[in-house]
Amino acid sequence: MGSRILLSDFAYLAPTTLAEALQILAEKQAVKILAGGTDLLLRMKLGTISHVDYVMDIKHIKELNYACLCDEKQCGSTANGAFCIGPTATLNQIAKNGDLSRLFPAQREAILAMAATSVRNRGTMAGNICNASPVADSAIPAICYGAALTLQSRRGKRIVALEDFFRGPGETELEKDEMLVNIALPVPPADSGAAFIKKSRVKPDIAKISLGVFIERDGTLIKRCRIAMGSVAPLPLYVQKISEGLAGLEMNEQLIAKTAQMVKAALKPISDLRTNQEYRRAISSVLVEEGLRLAWRNAGGELK
Amino acid sequence: MTTLKSSNFRLVGERVPRHDAWAKAKGEQLYSADWALPGMLHGKVLRSKYPAAILRAIDTSRAKALPGVRAVLTAADVPHNRDVTKFGQMRDVGAGFEGLYKVLAEVGGKIRFKGEAIALVAADSEELAERACALIEVDYEPQEGVFDPREAILDNAYLVSSEDASNVIMRTRVEQGDLEQAWEKCHLIVENDYYTSPHEHAYLETESGSGWPDENGGITLRVGTQVLEHYRTIAKVLGLPHTKLRNMSVPMGGGFGGKEDITVETYLALLVKATGKPVKMVWSREESIEAHSKRHPMYLHYKTGVDRDGFILAQEVSIVMDGGGHTYLTPWVQMYATINGSGCYNIANLRCESVSAFTNNTFSSANRGFGVPQVNFCYERQMDCIARRLGISPYELRRKNLLRNGDPLATGFVPLGHVALDQLLQQTWDKLNQTPKPERLPDGRKVGRGIACGMMGYGRLCFLHDISRIGIRIELDGSVTLRAGVPDLGGGQSSVLAQIVAEELGLGIEDVRPLIMDTHMTPLCGTTTATRQLYMSGNACLAAVQPLKERLARKAAAIIRDNQWPQNPATGYIWRPDIEHILGHLVFADKKIYYGPDPGKNVDFVAVVAHVSNEGGELFSEGQFNAPFTEVPDLNNIKGQILPDMTYTCHGVEVAVDEATGDYQVLRIVAAIDCGKAVNRNSVEGQLEGGTAYNLGWLREDLAWEQGITRANSFATYLIPTAADVPDIETIIVESRGGLGPYGAKGVGEPSDNSIAPAIVNAIADATGLEFNTPLIKPETLYLALQNERN
Repeated sequence: MGSRILLSDFAYLAPTTLAEALQILAEKQAVKILAGGTDLLLRMKLGTISHVDYVMDIKHIKELNYACLCDEKQCGSTANGAFCIGPTATLNQIAKNGDLSRLFPAQREAILAMAATSVRNRGTMAGNICNASPVADSAIPAICYGAALTLQSRRGKRIVALEDFFRGPGETELEKDEMLVNIALPVPPADSGAAFIKKSRVKPDIAKISLGVFIERDGTLIKRCRIAMGSVAPLPLYVQKISEGLAGLEMNEQLIAKTAQMVKAALKPISDLRTNQEYRRAISSVLVEEGLRLAWRNAGGELK
Repeated sequence: MTTLKSSNFRLVGERVPRHDAWAKAKGEQLYSADWALPGMLHGKVLRSKYPAAILRAIDTSRAKALPGVRAVLTAADVPHNRDVTKFGQMRDVGAGFEGLYKVLAEVGGKIRFKGEAIALVAADSEELAERACALIEVDYEPQEGVFDPREAILDNAYLVSSEDASNVIMRTRVEQGDLEQAWEKCHLIVENDYYTSPHEHAYLETESGSGWPDENGGITLRVGTQVLEHYRTIAKVLGLPHTKLRNMSVPMGGGFGGKEDITVETYLALLVKATGKPVKMVWSREESIEAHSKRHPMYLHYKTGVDRDGFILAQEVSIVMDGGGHTYLTPWVQMYATINGSGCYNIANLRCESVSAFTNNTFSSANRGFGVPQVNFCYERQMDCIARRLGISPYELRRKNLLRNGDPLATGFVPLGHVALDQLLQQTWDKLNQTPKPERLPDGRKVGRGIACGMMGYGRLCFLHDISRIGIRIELDGSVTLRAGVPDLGGGQSSVLAQIVAEELGLGIEDVRPLIMDTHMTPLCGTTTATRQLYMSGNACLAAVQPLKERLARKAAAIIRDNQWPQNPATGYIWRPDIEHILGHLVFADKKIYYGPDPGKNVDFVAVVAHVSNEGGELFSEGQFNAPFTEVPDLNNIKGQILPDMTYTCHGVEVAVDEATGDYQVLRIVAAIDCGKAVNRNSVEGQLEGGTAYNLGWLREDLAWEQGITRANSFATYLIPTAADVPDIETIIVESRGGLGPYGAKGVGEPSDNSIAPAIVNAIADATGLEFNTPLIKPETLYLALQNERN
């Protein structure tokens, strides 16, 4: 039976500076970071989270709340600069940003496909990523856009590609004393486009399966392509080999069909309450086909 | 008595904002769970973790020892733990409808479903109460159980209860004509097996409420319920006289049949009695989904025979119903399913047989539609299968066979009210097809259109001898207090009564204040079930207001006659009509009472009230309305009037099917109903749209039952349609004035949801050629079927 009550006792910490937060992480054990709380509190209520002694609420750290274009090299940005997202920026705060909508429409679409307005007003993209669910909607297009994460502890900072951040369901690259302090989406070059597609049971539901595609175009050739999928593996999946294999190839329907079949053959999804593995495999190819076409068109390409 | 007729309606038929709309919109109206009292304790229920087990022993000592725990109760602490009756029924109708109820599971007896209540706890905080539950040690001996009613009715089946020798709850049958002879004359016989899935009510508020002791040994409850009259059963369980158990409901939270059975009431009353303190209980969503009733899952077999032209000659139906762990309302639901089994068609030769059985699933009981959505689904799927086989349009096949005025129902009874089925079918079909159907959408999806008709009673089973009462008091400022024990959990049942009183007395809706839902302070209106409140309590309103209106009119007529006819100062009146003539021409409107032929002659309503009051006239009235009373029918051959009357519906649907993924989208819904007379047009549309959305969800919502375990027990896993999943619903409201309610109104609440599910599945069949025999169609199901067809 579900409880309306958080089952365990914990201390609530609310640092107001990043330094303070990092000190807490360095010194205390069993600390859980609360950014939006939309996942954390639910899991604490359901008792599906391991032992928690401290809940550290980072919403009071003003320096962590931003979502904007920036050109600082240290956040892992490329020559074109990056769109940087702080760990307490809420999903709606990000999706409503004009620069994000203009430069990363697939990211915006993925965020708006998440949950209902009230949850998006509270939940954060950083939380969605650190929760490390294989379904994480916001991570899928972010992988395609080549997102880089900045992880920081009192020992220093490091930058990790988003696709390398996940280790398994609920498991990430984060060390115990580290926290995610920045998400950088590199501004895409001209002649590029992206797509995000999600299949769910009702509109604001968790995905049965999701897909992101990013394509950089060189005339009729694919210059660079990144495909990522949700809910088909133990982690948000960057379909690396197949994506890289597309570089330099002529884009056409045959390539699209062949790629879709390759992706389908490579997947090993599971069955759960949302859908079954056969269906996930079966429609993965439909999604890949749709996604490639859409991204190609968004990149200004034509299909014969 | 002079009958005063309203010549033209002023309020009735309008779009009237409900009296409580603003309070609800602004969040001022409290939910059951929002209520708090000083010193209040928190109650929790310990529930079985197995669907089938023998309860060997319970040890509550550790729970009782926990500081802050005020009471831990088991069956041994309940004064009358067993009751052989139907909760909330007014009349004892005896064998065939009985079930043994235990408030709490008894040691030595069987646990009948997962979620069955074993012990109650009251503690200083909700957290402590949960901890105490965890400290109660229960010794279970798990049993194999039985989870399919078709297996449960076999001779050697596992027995769900400790008391009964069989799992069969009830068998019943309705029959007309000569089936065997009719089959021989059929040109085509279509036979299909169907399965309909369980359905969750998913109301906004879970089962919640509070209770407190009063000064004189009584207990008062305030809980969200559709049936205030449960106070009699609760009093019986506690060993209290009926006068000492007062029950109030809360005008929030929704019911849809799920709050028709007792939920938190008895538990609260027991805990209040044990502790002497106020107690609050709020079920979690998971607890609610696992432990309250579901729509009956049914296994149905349909055999329908038609002649060359498509006229139905014979139909045979057999139904196996899953009653789950306890009887509750299964026999009543079964009766609805059985008498409606053959559908809204004129069929001379028919048989519908049904059996219901216990299983170790969550128990089944009332769920909007009350046994009718299941059979409606099947008989409307049958119609489309037949139409396709005969090569005629589904519209044409229905038109040929629909019930019309004067045709008998399956029980041989000719409905008292108007039958508007052909009109509804025609208007729905025309609206659905006002533009030609495209083969495909520009995005490649296949388009299909489907239609389905439906029929369902309003008012309770006539052999229950249903009654409603209303109290009205006119205040000295001309406003009106309306007292009605009408449970209104959001359906607007009380506001419509205020509208009727305001209409009759010529007042505004804002002049009538409904005070509702209190067993001992408001006249009992009976249950908010069976789509009965407008019919029953609306008529009771008319009965209550009529003597008041008569009294006021008589006074008004006298005032007008004495003061408003021209007088010759010398000789007195030139001419005056007699009082009866004026009475016959009075109109109540705009807070005045007018002499109709000459509206310049009028008197203020409030002035008449003052006169009547000064003279000691009664300004209060109680009215009662009795439904038609019949005797209990022979369950082996149900005949005659079973329900007061029927409401008829039709749904038309357009869907788009994505053949690559099996996903389908409902693009358009046309929903039509004959409501007799729309008293509040907003409410009729609201019910029609709400009912449609409700059963739209039946097609996707899956409780994922596995061996008595509900795997989808929260709204994260059990998904109801969102606003974004429901298209605009185009409503058609026919007003035949042919109902038995006030102004010829019919009930609309439940009938509004019945014919949508078959319409959608018919539309899917139209698009894909796939004939599904269940309403639960997920994209996965459709995808697989499309794949199989291709191979």
